[in-house]
Parts: sequence; structure tokens; C-alpha cells
Amino acid sequence: MARNSIYQEETFPSPLIRLWHSFRETKVVMIGFSCFLFLFFLAVFAPILTPYSSVENNLDYLLLPPAWDVNGDVSFLLGTDNLGRDMLSRLMHGTSLTFGLSFVVVITSLVIGVIIGSLSALTKGIKSSFLNHFLDVILSIPSLLLAIIIVAILGPGLGNTLWAIILVLIPQFVHITRNAVKEEFTKDYVLASRLDGANSLRILSYSIFPNIIEKLISQATLAQSAAILDIAALGFLGLGAPIPLPEWGAMLSNGLGLFYTAPWTVYLPGLAILFSVVATNLVGEGMRHALKQSKES
Amino acid sequence: MKASMSHSFAIINSVMRKHFFIRGLLTAIALLFSLSACDSGNSTLLSAKSVIYCSEGSPASFNPQTITSGTSIDATANQLYDQLISFSAEDDELKPALAKSWHVTRDGKMITFYLRKGVKFHQTSYFTPTRDFKADDVVFSFNRILNPDHEYHAIAGVRFPFFDSVNFNSLVKEVEKINEYTVRFKLNRPDSSFLSNLASDYSVIISQEYGEKLSKENKHENIDLLPIGTGPFKLKEYRAGSFIRYYTHDNYWRDKPAIEQLVFDITPIDTGRLTKLLAGECDVVAYPIAHNKIAEHPLLTLDTVTSLNVGYLGFNTEKPPFNNKLVRKAIAYAIDRDAIIEAIYAGQADLAKSLLPKSSWAFSEETQEQVHSIETAKILLSEAGYPDGFDMNIWAMPVQRAYNPDALTMAKLIQADLKKVGIQVKIEGGYEWEVFLNLVRQGNHESVLLGWSADHPDPDNFLTPILSCESAGKGSNNTRWCHKEFDSLLQQALRTNSINQRKIYYAKALTIIAEEVPLLPIAHSKRYQARSNKVTGKLLNAFGGINFREVGKN
Amino acid sequence: MLNFTIRRLYLLFFTMFLLTLVSFSLSFLFPGEQLVNISGKVNATPAQLVLLAEQYHHHEGFFTQYWIYLQHIFDGEFGVSMASHLPISTEIINLLPATMELSLTALFIAMIIGIPVGFIAAIRHKKLTDNVILTIAMLGYSIPVFWLGLLAILVFSIQLNWLPSAGQISLLYEIKHVTGMQFIDILLSDSEYKWQAFQNATSHLILPACVIALAPGTLFIRLARTAMMEVLEKGYIRAAKSKGLTFNQIIYRHAIRNALINVIRHVGLQFANLITIAMVTEVIFSWPGIGRWLIESIYQRDYTAIQAGLLVLSSSIFFVHILTDFIYAALNPLARDSKHGA
Repeated sequence: MARNSIYQEETFPSPLIRLWHSFRETKVVMIGFSCFLFLFFLAVFAPILTPYSSVENNLDYLLLPPAWDVNGDVSFLLGTDNLGRDMLSRLMHGTSLTFGLSFVVVITSLVIGVIIGSLSALTKGIKSSFLNHFLDVILSIPSLLLAIIIVAILGPGLGNTLWAIILVLIPQFVHITRNAVKEEFTKDYVLASRLDGANSLRILSYSIFPNIIEKLISQATLAQSAAILDIAALGFLGLGAPIPLPEWGAMLSNGLGLFYTAPWTVYLPGLAILFSVVATNLVGEGMRHALKQSKES
Repeated sequence: MKASMSHSFAIINSVMRKHFFIRGLLTAIALLFSLSACDSGNSTLLSAKSVIYCSEGSPASFNPQTITSGTSIDATANQLYDQLISFSAEDDELKPALAKSWHVTRDGKMITFYLRKGVKFHQTSYFTPTRDFKADDVVFSFNRILNPDHEYHAIAGVRFPFFDSVNFNSLVKEVEKINEYTVRFKLNRPDSSFLSNLASDYSVIISQEYGEKLSKENKHENIDLLPIGTGPFKLKEYRAGSFIRYYTHDNYWRDKPAIEQLVFDITPIDTGRLTKLLAGECDVVAYPIAHNKIAEHPLLTLDTVTSLNVGYLGFNTEKPPFNNKLVRKAIAYAIDRDAIIEAIYAGQADLAKSLLPKSSWAFSEETQEQVHSIETAKILLSEAGYPDGFDMNIWAMPVQRAYNPDALTMAKLIQADLKKVGIQVKIEGGYEWEVFLNLVRQGNHESVLLGWSADHPDPDNFLTPILSCESAGKGSNNTRWCHKEFDSLLQQALRTNSINQRKIYYAKALTIIAEEVPLLPIAHSKRYQARSNKVTGKLLNAFGGINFREVGKN
Repeated sequence: MLNFTIRRLYLLFFTMFLLTLVSFSLSFLFPGEQLVNISGKVNATPAQLVLLAEQYHHHEGFFTQYWIYLQHIFDGEFGVSMASHLPISTEIINLLPATMELSLTALFIAMIIGIPVGFIAAIRHKKLTDNVILTIAMLGYSIPVFWLGLLAILVFSIQLNWLPSAGQISLLYEIKHVTGMQFIDILLSDSEYKWQAFQNATSHLILPACVIALAPGTLFIRLARTAMMEVLEKGYIRAAKSKGLTFNQIIYRHAIRNALINVIRHVGLQFANLITIAMVTEVIFSWPGIGRWLIESIYQRDYTAIQAGLLVLSSSIFFVHILTDFIYAALNPLARDSKHGA
């Protein structure tokens, strides 16, 4: 039996690798994860892959039902809407908008939140208490309400909606980073590093972050499912993406007027939202489950 | 001390939690029983005596004299008021209403009305009449419009757009009371559409006694906000944007309506109205969608009526480049109207060959019809000096009307059409309906998707309000177009009573419209209404607003 | 308990300060003239503007203006709606009770159903029931509420004709507006159709309340499950088992009470989430509440209304939050104050 190394080493996998291993164990979570990857792939490549344009009108094919219906047409697999636009293409393009942008939003607020959170964890005293209370207040305002107000200030439009949701999600990350970092600071290994002479920044980046990254990712998946729902809700209320863009919530709101004559224009975007949120939540569940397991072992 | 406190807390907790359910349940049941006992022996369902109509918007005012929007007319005119004369639904002939009979002199310049006796005004929580309807009320109602010194002429910035658009003030010299039940109109010139205008929904009779009472209390604006009329229903309650509640007028001079309560449920979103109809929350619905579903549904009926209306794209001829005829013509050539009929009206409308629909007696076969040709459009645009196109906006009305069930989608289709000739269109108009109308009236638009539903069968009602010089900017002429020859043709047509002569004038006028293109007529459509099978009675007419006088409920 | 109360009051005070500050700054941040935003008089003539400037001390510093703003709020003066020109305080008094009626009913439903189901899932941990419940909970939590509302209307209003789809009560019933909470108003009114009105109001309330209750309900399932699982591992449960208590006795006498306490503390946080969902649901079901009014104000760019609505809504949420904190502290002495010794 060939062996690559002579010495029997014990490998200590890094926290991320351990996470991945326990992640892989649950089948349901893996399904969720592959769906998540599928959506991600769609979000990035949709503009190339769509069979038809998602914004151009196609007046010869108005309100076609999906292909499995008697009146449907195979060339328009999921039917068309009231302006003849192909539902499949719109849904795919919508992935980039609703799902893809939610991902961008989460990453942005994660980065900003973590920075603010760690900086605030380093402060003490009145400033710290003030920030704590301020965060509590912001966290107690309903997220949709806050996003709506920010959109009201900045004006409607896709860019402003994104900024609104980013601003709404940041406090969550600040809160969790702050608590996690504060908790880690009380631990011994940090004390050891400090005695070695490391300054706060070094401790943060080398020692603490790798240990809190699981919590951050777990919170990120929660934030992403919230972001998807919020982007869709704002689109539904007409405060998000401008009219021809096929954001899923806006598609749903457009389909409302056609609810009775063309119910698929309402069902399909809703299913798309449900699917992506479930996929994100499955990934999140798996993450948290893995976290718990690694804590217990 | 603390231990005993927490101990007692614990006991209270456990007691509460154990018996809470039972106690709560008992209280709830007792409450429910007390309620059912409170119901007086009246076991008839309230819904059996009432009709709920889901309408598409709030009325701007409760007095038709001051408005033109179809929504406001639907809500008020035939419900609250009567006119001196009215149109019969069957044959478009004038029939007596508040006037029993009338006499027109040979020269057409004096009309005498003999009024009906025993007509009573509404009695409400805010007004109790002490006398019946008589000539003073007619004089009061019309002098309000004619006489600038009349107490109610200029209150709260009110205006009389319909009367402006038919030049009422320059036409009528005087309204005179001859005796308690006789009134005489003296005109400055004969006008063959005068009687039709008096029979329209706008020429309502309001109560002079009420006017005096309000004047004493210094609450003049209430004459339009808390209305008093002679119509089949009286106002009980109004919540703006939400609902109007009407009670039946017990002393109505015709047969009382068969129901006790009429409620207008204001639901601007068309899907919302349909949902309420399907869920049984509305009995009658305005401007329904999904006609097939309704026609197939066993418990619902789809009413249609061939309405005298037209939907059009109007250009603001005061704003460049729309002051240039070639540009207007180019846009007219570029728009694919057949596609619009397919997409917006589901094929259930007639392509507008001219401004007047075929059912109008002044329709002329000779009017040149607009054809669809992108090449011609491009040529005309280059001739006009815009070979690469330009930017423009289209204001799309935010409500459904018979002549245009979905202006927003229509605007999108036109946007796509115009893109092919290089014109970039921005779609505007997301305002509340009355706000929208006001802004358009002030000329904020470059082009607008609007339309017109006739108030009565006389063709002048189509042409003068929409395109006359008088009406430009003040009334319903949103194109602000003023063409001397066109106007003079209209006026000449009014001065004669000969139908054939008038036809000639109107044919010429329609040709001018086709050449100058101040607006592009798109379609004439039917007016639809959906109702539950429990509701009986004819509600819709070919022209004018909805009428609940004959409604009944099974 | 006193210390706890004082700390909570301090938190309340601080929060109100921040909230009013944020709401006041909004009038500067919104587009348009600040005076118009704060008073709502869109068509103000120049003379009226001067008057307003005096009323709001426009020419003085930021904090003076803020103080004046606070005084206006305490007088109940929130300005006038730009869209309807009615005083906002009237609108809020009319609308807020309706939202509270709906939200509290939804909260009640979410707790009544969510908590026992969560307990069952914990008791049957790692068995089929647990997994089924968790899956359903996850689905319920992932569904977009506006889609759920539409589906509910489609199934229950249109296809089954069981429940109405819009409004608080049928327009036919003239129930005088006393508190704004339909059920109380019906009891207090003198209409001859009380029983019919009551039935009607109930049927209008059920569907939107259930739609709102789904997502928080699933959260309660998880919270209850976690709480119960934690409690079941505790020492005193094992002690009870070894004492020989039956399963039922353990659950009903000990486990539920302690698990319930742990769940109650989250109710306050859940309420903010619930109000968000309620706002969208109000739009779908045309429920005449403050959520729908706020969203319409956004469409109509009615900045005064948005300012006032934000303040009132957030304050109500925070108030409920503090209330549940008090209840939790009353039930659980351990929560009262951990830092300063008793």
C-alpha cells in the first residue's frame, strides 16, 4: 500500500474545512446547496442563456399559457405575459436581479458591518453603551419599514433600493460581530497573543476572525433570505426595480392584473422566490447544524 | 420577603395558566351569546336589501355641474339628481323629467318649460326641506353657472367645465321664472344641441332653499360636498377614497328604488374589483377585466352596451415639436393601432376611422382613415427636421375607462412603435385621477392618452368639448388646438336644425381633424359591467353615467 | 424589580429620544421644502409659510427646532397629510387600532399554534414528527407573504367562497367608530344587525390574521422547540423522572412552564417582524390600518405622513417590546437584574 508520507501525522483541519465536512453529511442540506449554486450560476450567466429577450414585447404571442397546457407552445416553455414576453427568460433574468443582487447586498453589508462591529467592539464605556442602544433601536424598527423610508428619501430605483437594504442589514452584522468579538476577547488565546505583543488589529485579523467566521456565514445566510424577500417585497410594492426589468416581486405585481386570465404570471415568480429562499435557508440550516455539531464534539 | 413574592408569583402563574384557557373560553362564549341576543328580531340579511357597487375612483365633487370626469358622474349624477328633461334609453328621444313639457319658439331662441308638481328634495341629517321643487330652484341652478355675481358662482375655485365647453354662458341670455311652475330660457342664438345639453348628466337641479340655508351658515362649499337633490338616492356618508353610502329617497317622485341602501365601494385596482365580485363582496363592478371568466361563471353576468366613446392620443399642440403638423402626422403613421386593439381591447373594440364612432349619425364615410406605415413616418419626420427622432413623454391615464381599459400598457406599445422611428418615449402619469386630469388641463403633458364618452347622442358633444377653441386649456380640449375654420364649422352646425345640413358641416370638420391630427383617434369600445345574478335592472346606457334607479336585488 | 424598571424606563426614554430625532431629521432628508415636509401644507401661500416658520422656529438652531417639534408631538399635533389634507393625528387614531387588532390577533394565533407544535417537535426530537414539523416550518418561513396572501385569497375567497378578501367589515354595516377596533365597536354600537356584523367582522379578520401569523408562527415553533429541548436536558427534569413522575406530569407541571418563559422573552422581538409582514398584508387585503396608509403615503410622496407614521409605528412596537419584557421579568425572577446583586 503506497503512502505519501512516512510519518503518521494528525491533521487539524481548519474551521472552514471542518464546517464543510459536517455540512456534507446531511443530504437535504447538500440538495439545498446545489440549488443555491444553480441559482448563483443562473444569476451570473442569465443574460447569455435566456432564449428570448426579457424586456422586449412580442405582440404575436400574448398571454400564452405554459407549454404543458393545451393552448401552450413549446417554444415558450413557461408561457408569456400580457406583452408577449417569455416567462422563462424573465424568470432567469430575474434571478440575477432578485437573487444575484441579494447576494451582492449581503456581501456588502457583511463587510461594512464587520468592520464597524469590530471597531465598536474595541471601544468601551459610554460610546459602547450608546452604540449598543442605538443598534437596539434600529433593530426594533421593522426592516421593511426602514427600507421603505430610505427609498422614500433617496427616491425609487434599483440602486437606491439596494442601498436601502444594505443599510437595513448592516446593524445585524454589527450586532453579531460586536458580540462575537467581545466574547472572543475574553478567551485565553487572545490573552496569549496580547502577551506576545500583538496589537488589536493583528489579533482581530489573525486570531479572532477565523473563529467567528462560521457565525458570520450563518448570519449571512439568514440575511440573504431576508434580503431576497425584502427586494421582492419592495419590487412588489413598486418601489424597486423600474418597470420593464423582470425582478421577481415586480413580475408578481404585474401579474396581479392578469390573475384571472393568466394565473401563471403570478404563480411562477412566487415559486421562484420560494425556491431561492428555501435553498438559502437550507444552506443556512446546514451551516448552523454543522456549527452546533462542531461545538459539541 | 423576595422569596415569598416570587412564590406568590409562581402560584398566580400556575393558576392563571391552568385555568386561563377555561376562563377565557367561558368569557368568549358568554360574549357571543349576549351579542346574538342583542340582534333585534330583524332576521333579514342586510345584504338582501342593499347593493354594493365597486367603482374605480372617488368623485371629485358631489355636484355634476362642476365636473367632467366619468367617475364623478357615475357616482353622483343619476343617483342624487334629476334634470329638466332626459333621454329615453330606447330611442334617444328627449323625454320629460322634472319638466312635464316644454315649448320651443320657431326661431329657436326661447324655450319654456312647464315643471312637475309635488317633487320633493332629499331630507338628510344636514338638511330638511320645507317646500317642494319649483321654478326658483331651476333659476337658482342655472344662474349659478350664468351669473358671475351669483353667490355660488365662484366658491372654492369651482368651475363649470361642461358648460364652458358648450359655450353655455354666451349662448343663454337669461333664465326667467314665469310663475311657480314655469321657467323660460332666452337664448342669444338658436342652438340645435341646447336641449340635448340640458338633458345631459351635468344639468342637474339643485335646491335653492338649501343654498339659502348654507349661505346663512356661511358654509357655501357644502353645496357641492354635502349634496341635496331630487334623485332616487340621498347621501348618508362619504369617506374619501373608501366608500359612498346612499340611502333611498323615500319621497322620490318616480317609483322608489327597490333597495334601501346603495354603497359605492371605491376600489381603484381592477383585479381588486374582480376579486370582490368573485368573492361576493361586490354586487356590481365597474370596468371589469377577464371578460371570459365572468361570462363563463354561473353566478355572474357580463353586461355590455355599445357606448358612444373614443380613446385617443392627444398632442399638446402648444409644445414643440407638436406644434408642427408633420411631426403629429409622422407619429400617427408610426403607431400600429391594430396591434393595440388586439392587445388592449382583446379585439373587442372598433378601430377608430375618425373621431366619431359609426353609431353617431354624423359619422362620414368620406373621412380619410389613418394608415400604419413606418416608412411614411420616417419620411415625414425628416421633412419636419427630426431625421434622428427626439424625446417625448406620453401621459397615460391611471384609471380604467370604457374607451381605454389599460392606458399604461397602451403607452408601452406606443413606446415600442415610436422607437422604430427613433423617438424615445417616457411614460408619465402616475397620479391620482383627479390630480392627473388637473395637470393635463394645465398643459403639463406633451402627449396624453385620454378619451371621451359622450354625454348625449348629439355629435356636437363629441367635437366641441374635445377640440373647440373655447375648450382649449379650460375644458376638455387637452390638445390646446384652436383652428378657426373648424370652430366656425361647429358653430354653423349648431345654428341649423336640419340634420342633413349639419351632417355636411360635421363631415368637413372631421376631414380637418384627419388632416391636422391634433389627436390620433384609436378605438371606440363597448362599455362593460359585471354583476352578480342577484342584481336586476338596467344600469348602463349608451351614453352618460350609470343609473341605479331601477336596480333590484333578489 | 425596581432596578429593572428603572433600567427599562431609561431604555424607553433613550429610544424615544432617538426615534423622535430620526423622525425629525427626516423632514430635512426628504426632498422638498423642510417646512412643508414637517407641516404638510403643500399649497401654503408665502404668508402661510411665514406663519409656519414662526410656528416651527425655522430660523433657529437644529436642537431648538427639535425641541419645538417635540412639543408639537406632545400636543398631539403631527401636521397635516399632504395627500388628504386631513390632520394626521386623526388619521392615526383611526388607523392604528385596526392594525393593532390585526397584529395582536395574528400574534395570538401564531403563539397558540406555534408554541404547542414546537413543544411537540421537541418532545419527539429526531423522530419523524420532528422532521416533518421542521420542514413545514422552514417552508412557512420562506414563503413571501404577498404571494401567500394572494394564494389564500384565490383559494379561500374565490374558489371556496368561505371568506371575504378585503376590508375589515362589509360596508353595509354602519358601525360607529369609537375605538377603531371592530369587535369592541360592534359591542358598543346600537345597530340592529349586531350579530350579523360580528360574524361578518370575524370572517374578515381570519384570513389576513392567518396569513400574517404563518411566518412568526414558524419562528415560534423553532423557538419553542429549542426552549423545550433545553429544558428537557436540565437536571431537574432528570430528577423528576427519577422521582417516578409520569411523562405527562413532567411535561405539564414542569417543562411547559419553564420552556414557555424562555419563549415569551422573544415575543417582543418577533413583534417588529410581525408588523413588517402585517404592513404588506394590509395592502393585499385592503385592511384599513396604518401599514397600508404608510405604503400609500410612500406612493403619494406624502412626507409628513411618512414621518408621523414611522414614529408612531416604531413607538408602538417598542412599547409592546417593553411590555413583554416586563411580563417576562415578572414571570422569571432570574431575568430581572443580573448585575446588581439582590
